[in-house]
This record gives sequence, structure tokens and C-alpha cells, in this order.
Amino acid sequence: MAALRPLHSPKAIAWLLVLILAIALPPVVGGYLTSMLILIAIWTIMSFSMNLIYGYTGQLSLGHAAFLGIGAYAFGLLTVKVHVGFWPAFACAIAITGLIAFLVGIPALKLRGPYFILVTLGFAVIVGVIVLAWIDLTGGANGLAGVPRPVPIPLPWGAQLRFDSLLSMYYFVLFFLVLTVGFCQRLVHSLIGKTLLAISYNETLTESLGINTMSKKLLSFTLSATLAGIAGVLYASYNIVISPEVTHFARGMDVVAYLIVGGAGTMAGPIIGTLVLMAVPEVLQIMPYLKTLINGIILMLFILFLPNGIIGWFNTIPAKLLKSRVAIDGSA
Amino acid sequence: MALLEIAGLSKSFGGLTAVSDLSFHIQPGELLSIIGPNGAGKTTLFNLLTGFYRPTSGTITFNGMNLTGSKPYQVTRSGISRTFQMTSIFRQSTVLENVIIGQALHARARVWGSVLRTSATCLEEQTIREKAREILSFVGLAGKEDKVASELTEEAQKRLSISLALANGPKLLLLDEPTGGVNLEEISGLIDLVGKIRKTGITICLIEHKMKMVMSISDRIVVLNYGKKIAEGTPKEVAADQEVIKAYLGTRYVT
Repeated sequence: MAALRPLHSPKAIAWLLVLILAIALPPVVGGYLTSMLILIAIWTIMSFSMNLIYGYTGQLSLGHAAFLGIGAYAFGLLTVKVHVGFWPAFACAIAITGLIAFLVGIPALKLRGPYFILVTLGFAVIVGVIVLAWIDLTGGANGLAGVPRPVPIPLPWGAQLRFDSLLSMYYFVLFFLVLTVGFCQRLVHSLIGKTLLAISYNETLTESLGINTMSKKLLSFTLSATLAGIAGVLYASYNIVISPEVTHFARGMDVVAYLIVGGAGTMAGPIIGTLVLMAVPEVLQIMPYLKTLINGIILMLFILFLPNGIIGWFNTIPAKLLKSRVAIDGSA
Repeated sequence: MALLEIAGLSKSFGGLTAVSDLSFHIQPGELLSIIGPNGAGKTTLFNLLTGFYRPTSGTITFNGMNLTGSKPYQVTRSGISRTFQMTSIFRQSTVLENVIIGQALHARARVWGSVLRTSATCLEEQTIREKAREILSFVGLAGKEDKVASELTEEAQKRLSISLALANGPKLLLLDEPTGGVNLEEISGLIDLVGKIRKTGITICLIEHKMKMVMSISDRIVVLNYGKKIAEGTPKEVAADQEVIKAYLGTRYVT
């Protein structure tokens, strides 16, 4: 069975190494890089969210920043204004995000191609405007302050798992990233995942095979937005202050860039793409206002020359090697 | 009782009437061919039957159910499968995965079952995989399971598109030019496959241009011209029909 692939396959080893690195690096690299890694991990969850709806279902959403924003603000408002506990607020926030995505998805997913993209973009702009304009509720441009860090988790032997240090916050976020990766990996390799991929390849044929493509797209859109909502809660809790800037539609487009550069429709693509596009400008000390410009140029270059992203290109190497070997054998 | 009953079916696109007041039926176990010159409305008829087009008027009754206005996936679920004139397969997927997706409509697994890999989900995926292999060996694609579909020959792609249509276990199979674009030598193999499918008890409705094939395998033939039925009957009756000769060869040949 495919589910019981041997654990020593090269891919499994690579994933294990990445996980070990992700766990072992932060304690030695210092606070600045750890805070950077927390943000990268949060946006990687966003890239996985985008991967589900775009990479595996073929529906490009430019509105995902709105779902992150809805998750963040729902969590922030519930904890700050309604004084709901951390975990109930977390659950409510992602449920609210999923519900809104479901309701938006019903009319939006009836549209195909560019029309769907435009509706998601419009939705993101509307959410962005509401967040800025409804000052009484969201604090407007000042943002929403006082969002709590995760509450300590009591351990059976009396100790507590506390999240007040930067490092512990990193592991908290990493835990949800690992959950997200596991969820996506299992889902895309299941029959449901294959059906989603079939929709991205040929929606008409999929529907003629008796599959209710609308309900499957709606499922994918809702799950994807729920992941974005989780990223939103993590962002709010880590940052303590929610800045309306995260709901700006341009942040959603950044996520599209991360995914396409890494490789849409692959499991490693979201990680590689987010890491490269977020870490490189940081390492090179690029001015924040130039980041979007550079992201745009890189995205264009990738769409032109490596449309399948870094991982997509990497996956073609074995086939190329095989072909060149066949060519050598043929001439010999 | 007829398996499929079409009564007064019409479809117009703006001013153009592609199918006009069409009525015929298909008996269980029958092989009915639909022929007619290019633009006669054959593919439009298939698109009407499978819910891709909504009829302007008329009714479609299948197996006692009224299918008029149903969505394509609902039509397939009620037991009608189709192939497309332009060979439709998932080109990027493997041959086996194609047929697995073809069976996905029956799957019961939900998101949590799939993510947690419950034993019911694993068992279901196992069953579907085995069934897919069976179907592939039935259509003559055994041994090609792990090939990417786009690497298959045109003839093998036709076989794959047929196995996709078979995967959901149809009662009625609509084949839109199953031998179109295939080498002459390979046609007889595909005709044999159609005969083999028929022997399993599946009713077949066929659109074809190759007269020799149509005349040899059909029980009955419906002839369309400009969206209207101009003849219906056994191959012999149709071949002798004056209207049919006129439509295909022109008035000069009418005796």
C-alpha cells in the first residue's frame, strides 16, 4: 500500500532532516533569526493554504490575506474585547474563517478562471477596507493591541509548558506548521486529493465522471481558508498587536509568489518558496518597500522560465538524467 | 420499457436550431448508432443527454427517471457515462490514477477519514485500486498502469478514455467517435472492445462516421441531418432509405 511507504525512502529522509533542522537550529542561531523563523513558519502555513486551493485544485485565490486577517481579528476581538479564553478563541476564530470562506465560496466558485480570481481579489479589498474603516471595532490603522500569547499548558507531572519566551513561541508555531504539513500530505494523497487534482487538470472531464466539482472546490476553498485562519491566529498571538497591513491584498499576492517560486502542487514547494523569498531579502538587508518590487520581478521570471517552481524543476532532474543516459547508450 | 426515452428534444443556440424535435428510444442491451453529416447535431445530442447543455424543450427519461435539466455529475450518477470526441483523459496523471478518479464518485471517505487514514478509508482505496487494475486489463491496458497518460499512443488513449467512462459502472455508455483519429490497423481492435463491453450487458449509444463499422455492429441506427431525425431502423433499412442517401450523397443519387 502506498500509505506504508518505507521510512528510509530518500524523500522521507529529506523531510526528517528538515524537521530536525527546524527543531535544532533556533536555539543556536539567536533571537533575531528565531523571530524571523517564526514569521517564515507562519507564512509557510499560508503558502500551504494557497497550495491546497491553487496548487492542488487549480483555483487561484488572490484573497487569502483576507482570511488570514479574519482569523487574526476574530481571535484578537474575542480575546481582547470579549475576554474569551485562548483555546476557545482559537477554535472560534478558525471556525469563523472557515464559515466566511464557505459563504464567499458558494457564489465565487461558480465562476471560472479569471472571474474567480477577480472576485477573490475584490473580497480581499473589501475586508481590508472594513478593517481600516471600522475603527470602533478593529482600531483602524492603529491596529488591535493586547492580544494574548498562548496560555501555559499544564503537564501531567505538575510542570507547565509556557510560551512567554521567543523560543517557546517558535516551537508553538512550528507545531502548527507540522500539523499543517501532515494534514496536507495525507489529504492530497487521498482519493479526495486526487479528485481535487483532477479538477485542476480538467474540470469538465471530472464533472462528467460523476463528481460534484462545485462541492469539492468548496471543500478545498474552506479548508484552505481555515489554514489561513490558523496562520492569522498564530500571527496575532505572536505579534500581540494586529496590524491592518496583514489583511492588505498585496500580502495575499506575496503568498502566491512564495508558492509559485517554490513549486505549486508540490509538498516541499511552499516551504522552499516562503523560505527563499522571505529570508533572502532579509539577509541582503533589502528595504521593505523594495521587497514587493523584487518579489514581483522574481515571480515574473519564474512564470516565464520555471513555471513549476524550484521543486517542480528539481523533480525533472531524474528524468533528464535518465534521458541523457539513454542518449549515451544509444550512441555507444 | 425503454432504457432511454427521448421525447420532443430541441436545442437552439440563438437563432440556430442544433437539435429539433427529436424523439427516439434505446432498449436495454441494445447498440444504437447515431450517424449524420458533420454539423447534424450528434455531439449536441450527447451534450444534451449528459446535462452539459440544457434542452430548449423536450424530455429525457432514463431508467424511469426524468433527467431533463440534471447536472452532468447527476446524469453520470444515475448511470450514463460518456466519452468525448476530443479524447478526454487526465494527461498528467498515470493510467492507473485516471481510472481511480473515474471511480471516485462512489467513494465514501470524508476529509477526516482521509487525513487520519482510518481502516475504512484504506480498505476503500485498496478496493478502488484493484477495481482500476481490473478495468485496465479489461480494456487491454494491463501493464501500462504506471505510465503517464500523455505518453500513451492515440489508440491507447482512446482505450483509457473508455475505461474512465466504464469506471463508474454505467448502464448506458455514450461513445463519441471511439475510433476517431486512430490508424486504420488499430480500428478493429477498438471495435472488438466495443463488442466486448456490450457482452457485459452495458447498453451502448455510438456516434461514428465509419460506415462499415456502424453497419456491422449496430442493432439500430438513427440518422440525423440539420438536427432532425430523417431515418431510424436496422442498418439494412437505413442503407436503403432515400432520405439518407440524399443527405449523404446528394439528390443525384436518389433512385
